[in-house]
Amino acid sequence: MSFTFLLIDDDEIERLKFARVLDKNGYSHKVVEAKNGEEALDILVQKNQQPDIIFLDLNMPKMNGIEFLKHLKSDPILQYIPVIILSTSNNHRDVKQAYEIGIAGYIVKPLKYEEYIHKIKCLIDYWTVNELIKVNL
Amino acid sequence: MGSDHIQILKRAIQREKLARKQAEKILEDKSRELYLITQELKNTNQKLEDQVGKKESALQGVFDNLLDAYIRIDILGNIIEMNHAAKKLFGYDITAEKINVGKLIYKEDYEYAINSFQELIAKGSFSDYQARVYTKNNGVRTVHINASLIIDKNENPIEVQGIVTDITEELERKKIIEEQKNQLSAIVENSSLGIVLTQFDKIIQTNIAIQNLLGYTKEELLQKEVKDISIKNEYAAISDNLALVNTGKIDNFSVNKRYKKNDGSSFWAKTNIAAVRNHNGNIKYQVAFIEDITEQLKIEKQRDQLVKNLEKTNQELKDYAHIVSHDLKSPLRNINALINWIKEDHIDVLNKEGVHHFTMIEKTLEKMEMLINDILSYSSVNNKENLQTQKIDLNLLINEIKNIVLIPENTTILVKKKLPIINGDITRIQQLFQNLIGNAVIYTDKKTGKIEIDYENKKSHYLFKIKDNGVGIKKEYHNKIFKIFQSLGENENSSGVGLAIVKKVIDLYDGDIWLESEPGIGTTFYFTLKK
Repeated sequence: MSFTFLLIDDDEIERLKFARVLDKNGYSHKVVEAKNGEEALDILVQKNQQPDIIFLDLNMPKMNGIEFLKHLKSDPILQYIPVIILSTSNNHRDVKQAYEIGIAGYIVKPLKYEEYIHKIKCLIDYWTVNELIKVNL
Repeated sequence: MGSDHIQILKRAIQREKLARKQAEKILEDKSRELYLITQELKNTNQKLEDQVGKKESALQGVFDNLLDAYIRIDILGNIIEMNHAAKKLFGYDITAEKINVGKLIYKEDYEYAINSFQELIAKGSFSDYQARVYTKNNGVRTVHINASLIIDKNENPIEVQGIVTDITEELERKKIIEEQKNQLSAIVENSSLGIVLTQFDKIIQTNIAIQNLLGYTKEELLQKEVKDISIKNEYAAISDNLALVNTGKIDNFSVNKRYKKNDGSSFWAKTNIAAVRNHNGNIKYQVAFIEDITEQLKIEKQRDQLVKNLEKTNQELKDYAHIVSHDLKSPLRNINALINWIKEDHIDVLNKEGVHHFTMIEKTLEKMEMLINDILSYSSVNNKENLQTQKIDLNLLINEIKNIVLIPENTTILVKKKLPIINGDITRIQQLFQNLIGNAVIYTDKKTGKIEIDYENKKSHYLFKIKDNGVGIKKEYHNKIFKIFQSLGENENSSGVGLAIVKKVIDLYDGDIWLESEPGIGTTFYFTLKK
């Protein structure tokens, strides 16, 4: 099964990391990238093919993760796309707020690249065995 | 004698008879008149006598009932008459004993009394004579006397009469009132509050404090009205309240307003205005208490600014913690990823030394991350937002810490007796024990490390002991080690924040921490936690 992921992160290297993990581990999933929430919303509005899963950073310029999440969850259709937070912060308040608005998972970015690979692999493997619904505008 | 002659005589006799008759009649008439007059006189006299009697008895009544004492003395000073009030005042009865006024005059006032008496003789009366007198039963009393001379028809003085009023109590009352007045004016004059008495707008009384505040003399202020020392629009603001006071709706109010000084400058003052009313409820005057609050306002302003700054600093600190957690960690993560990519992609061109250097970079990154995490936890110890108090079984907590802290094989941790269950925030209490145990582990330099945990149950707190047989700490560093970034050793596992966090947690629970140590032998940390 091939997914389309929307990765929203302002850090170029983070985006490179995510793409590299997919590439190096032979995943055939497609990654669409956005630098912030605003850009992501533009993508979601324009594209016919909606992402199956959204990976979202919290700290971003312009529209940050939480603001994007609120927008998404207020949309009658887009709200069904699972969102997984990729954050540096394990701050209790941030985690709680994200879950309150509605997320499917919360990953804290580790320092070590090996650990990062491990976490992303687990995550993708988990979602590939899940049943998902296609969201179409 | 001829008949003519006889006739003449006869006629004469006749006339004489007639005349006598007439005279007799006149006499009779006169004597009747006299009698009537006498009768009348007698009646009148009787009436007069009756009236005198009446007057005398009325006068007697007056004397007796006179509230003031009445005394009549002869020219030598012997008392001839005393009314009831006089008897009561002096306690003497002149019907029982002869009294001379000289005996009654207070020794010190004697000369004055004599002078006054001579004045009386010369002028015929005196009034407002005041002196002290002895009384039989009532000690020395102060009396007020009005007296006048009684003279005989040759204008020789024969007696003196006087009205004596006991004014002892009145004087006492006056003295008290005077004293209270003095006390009051001492308070008013020495008050650091400016006090102004006004009759509507007119200033009628001021104290020194307000005179000094305004830079006017008392006399100058008496020429002024309230609006002369007020700022125009502010005076309008208080006049509404003043109207409420004047109409009796309120009794007092307080405003902060400015006052114009003599030199043209002004100052802010808290002003309390109260109405002083007469028994009808009408305002007699207003009294204003004026407190210069220029300094106070300045301090308040400074305090407000400080609070604002503090709030800002606090917010900045919170933001700072956020920046530390996110923005500082991100580059570390990226460097780590990039190094890994270089290693993965270019391993064939790297020699052993190159790989070793990359490994050193990775270790440095790890240390950096640890430091960031420690700073983060240090700064969040006091954060009340995530403080959750719960029951903590320290035995379970220590076991958990044993799993988290990497304990070398040669090191043993011995809990000397079963530890208590305490109340606290689990994250912080764990930080406390974990940092102390972790420190003990890190600084072990012996073949076998021994760490002992013990406690004592005190009345208001628990006293914990964590003892190690490590390198020990020199006395001069005992205080320093609890300050942030004061790591003593060059230990790569120590960021220098651990004990600072420990101290902060202990402060949070009103505890204390100290240590005993002998370099080369070991250290015992003691700390208390409030129950």
